[in-house]
Amino acid sequence: MLQPIHLAHTPADLTLYVAVYREVENASSLKQQLLAGNTEFEYAFIDASMILSTKQALAAVFRAINDYLNHRLKSRNIHSEIVFCLSPNNNIGEAFRRFGVSDATKDLLVIKVATTPDVTLESVGRHLSTHVQGQESPFDDATFRATADLDRIRKVYKISSLAPKATGRKPSTTSNGIPNGENMDATKNLEVQILGLMALRGAT
Amino acid sequence: MIAIGLEGSANKLGVGVILQPAKGGPAQILSNIRHTYVSPPGEGFLPKDTAKHHRAYVSTLVKRALAEAGVRLEDIDCICYTKGPGMGAPLQSVAVAARTLSLLWNKPLVGVNHCVGHIEMGREITGATNPVVLYVSGGNTQVIAYSSQRYRIFGEALDIAVGNCLDRFARTLNISNDPAPGYNIEQLAKRGKVLLDLPYAVKGMDCSFSGILARVDELAAQMRAGTLKDPVTGDAVTPEDLCFSLQETVYAMLVEITERAMAHVGSSQVLIVGGVGCNERLQEMMGIMAKDRGGSVYATDERFCIDNGIMIAHAGLLAYRTGFATALEESTCTQRFRTDDVHIAWRED
Amino acid sequence: MISTTSIPQREAQPFLPYPFTETQPPPHLVTQGAEALLYRTHFLTPSTAAALKARPSKPYRHPTLDARLTKQRVLAEARVLVKLSALASDPDNEVKVPAVFNLEWDAARKINGLTEDQRGARRTTAAGAWLLMEWIEGKSVKDLLREWDSWFMATGSTASPEEVQAQVEAVKRLLRRIGRAVGALHSKGGVVHGDLTTSNIMVRPATNSSTSNGSAAPTIDENAQADDMPARPPNFEGEIVLIDFGLATQSVQDEDRAVDLYVLERAFGSTHPRQEGQFDAEVLQSQEGYRGSYKGANVVLKRLEEVRLRGRKKSMIG
Repeated sequence: MLQPIHLAHTPADLTLYVAVYREVENASSLKQQLLAGNTEFEYAFIDASMILSTKQALAAVFRAINDYLNHRLKSRNIHSEIVFCLSPNNNIGEAFRRFGVSDATKDLLVIKVATTPDVTLESVGRHLSTHVQGQESPFDDATFRATADLDRIRKVYKISSLAPKATGRKPSTTSNGIPNGENMDATKNLEVQILGLMALRGAT
Repeated sequence: MIAIGLEGSANKLGVGVILQPAKGGPAQILSNIRHTYVSPPGEGFLPKDTAKHHRAYVSTLVKRALAEAGVRLEDIDCICYTKGPGMGAPLQSVAVAARTLSLLWNKPLVGVNHCVGHIEMGREITGATNPVVLYVSGGNTQVIAYSSQRYRIFGEALDIAVGNCLDRFARTLNISNDPAPGYNIEQLAKRGKVLLDLPYAVKGMDCSFSGILARVDELAAQMRAGTLKDPVTGDAVTPEDLCFSLQETVYAMLVEITERAMAHVGSSQVLIVGGVGCNERLQEMMGIMAKDRGGSVYATDERFCIDNGIMIAHAGLLAYRTGFATALEESTCTQRFRTDDVHIAWRED
Repeated sequence: MISTTSIPQREAQPFLPYPFTETQPPPHLVTQGAEALLYRTHFLTPSTAAALKARPSKPYRHPTLDARLTKQRVLAEARVLVKLSALASDPDNEVKVPAVFNLEWDAARKINGLTEDQRGARRTTAAGAWLLMEWIEGKSVKDLLREWDSWFMATGSTASPEEVQAQVEAVKRLLRRIGRAVGALHSKGGVVHGDLTTSNIMVRPATNSSTSNGSAAPTIDENAQADDMPARPPNFEGEIVLIDFGLATQSVQDEDRAVDLYVLERAFGSTHPRQEGQFDAEVLQSQEGYRGSYKGANVVLKRLEEVRLRGRKKSMIG
């Protein structure tokens, strides 16, 4: 299921390799590798419950690549920067606590940017299948509809879910994961707001 | 045809004699004389004192202008004077002189809009055919473009004029008013290095300068108190730095609104007129912008940029040749006179 | 003697900021204004159409001032759009604006460490800011009303009076919806647009799924219809989307709102003489237009009368 992606506007050789794992059993050991600074584990390990859609994830990658190309990464490398770019604020530690892999992570989004030629589909696939214990899932919106924790996402991005009370309307309660028309709209609106907040992060 | 023009809407008294060949072709400047009322440093020119200056010098200047031009009285077709806009008392003293000459010589009068005088003289001197005009002086800040026999104002200063902002800052710094406060600010600015943050107030094609003046006055007070430091180096900020910052900011605003007007009307020519138009830094910045747009900038030197009699003679004669004249009973002047109020009968494009 | 002329020569390539110099197919230049160039391109994948608004550095101004202004402006525009997009969760919301995808505000940045190839041959030396936004499908109100005019000219005399009347009513409904959208922008959004014209008001046709799945292929042939004799009047169905917030400010002042309406009124009058007479009654005064769109609208419309009288007839002291 590891998927190569080329993002629009980025140099042709900067391929991304993206995979989603559900029911991950060794999240804490993956986190340990990151904390230990093991260069073998240079990935963006993202808690998939914080991801609403592929667009949100890829928009963060796009910003991280742009910052990488402009030589102004705020964190250690392009992979940590991807996690940071999901954040609506400038606190790097908080970004990792909220969006990065944690001991409690069940569903994991993994992103690898091929910044050097030796990073290939085979090398990344081999390494991940050896070290991540979980079920591979496709990187698509259907997966994220199942994994996203909408309440927590709204809370982290400080986006209210309720319609203004002034009109006395019923609040548009949305239950997770069922793509009826109204929820598609609500998810779309949420995505638009998240993209805007991610893009404006750090603007003073 | 020959006209004499009298200008005295602010602190410059100007008299000029122009000849426009009947068959067409470039106008000939037969004479163009000016005498400026210079107020002491730290002071602006007051209407009463300025009017007194104009009254004292007008007959001498007329005589000199005629002598230098070498024309006989019977060669003169009309007497042109500035009807407005400008300061009341100085305008009146020159209008009285024009009326007197009209009665004395039995020649028709032509009242001229000061701004139109600047535009027509600028077009004549530079050869710019249909430019966007930036008219910048002590009293006016306008971005103008011609359309259907009017000079239409696309943008303007919403409060004080840019020249007024510069003049008043010169007073704050106690800079000499000789030859002109703006000229002395320009010389100081050439030695300035530090760009301080000043408000930048552009709204569409309009702009505003009073907030900038208030801020730069504040900074000048801090500088005198010794508390103003360059944020980067920590060095003390100098009057030169303040003049530099002021110029860079206000001229950037002027170039921006001019560029917006050029994009709006699809023109690539820009003509700068008015006293502030002499400023070389403004001309340079405008030139860079115009070049970027594939166009060019036209500017005149101080003989024509700064208020003068020849532009009044020139614009007045253009109108006179279309059959326009101002009856003696109507030969008033007015402090307020919009550029777009004038019917430009002599242009047919 | 006095004129300084330079050889008329435009920069060979219009400004296109890195990394869009890498983009395949290359972004398509749509319009070029004094401040910004608008390109049609895509975001993340070719299936998401996007508008790229590029603000080149202005070489005439001091680099420090230039960086400050360019940054301020791209940020102001993006903030207004993000603020307005937050209203989208309100079911009553009537202000639709393009979503912000990404932006670059560091106009003076240096792109180091890339080879000449990576930078791309089209990269110009000047840096600048950019804003990547959702591409709004559909047509501007300006184009729609012009199409209506051509329909009317071509078939209005042969169509039945009922048909003409029905089409006049359709225009009126469109105008009232514009009034509501501006009212919602002012009241719910707390924003004044600053440059309202019929070119900046779009009608986006409804699609089954509201996700932006428009094809990224440039639709340059929008005028093609104008050449065919328009046998049918244009379709005004769809949602009103306001675009181009480059001069927008966050303000709730009656004066600013009234001036916003005045700018639209003047632009409308000069662009659509045939519909000019309907502007006041439908856009502004209708209960289904601006007047009925929020509580404070009456005060703003009162203020508009003053603004009209004042107009640009402000007298200047020489």
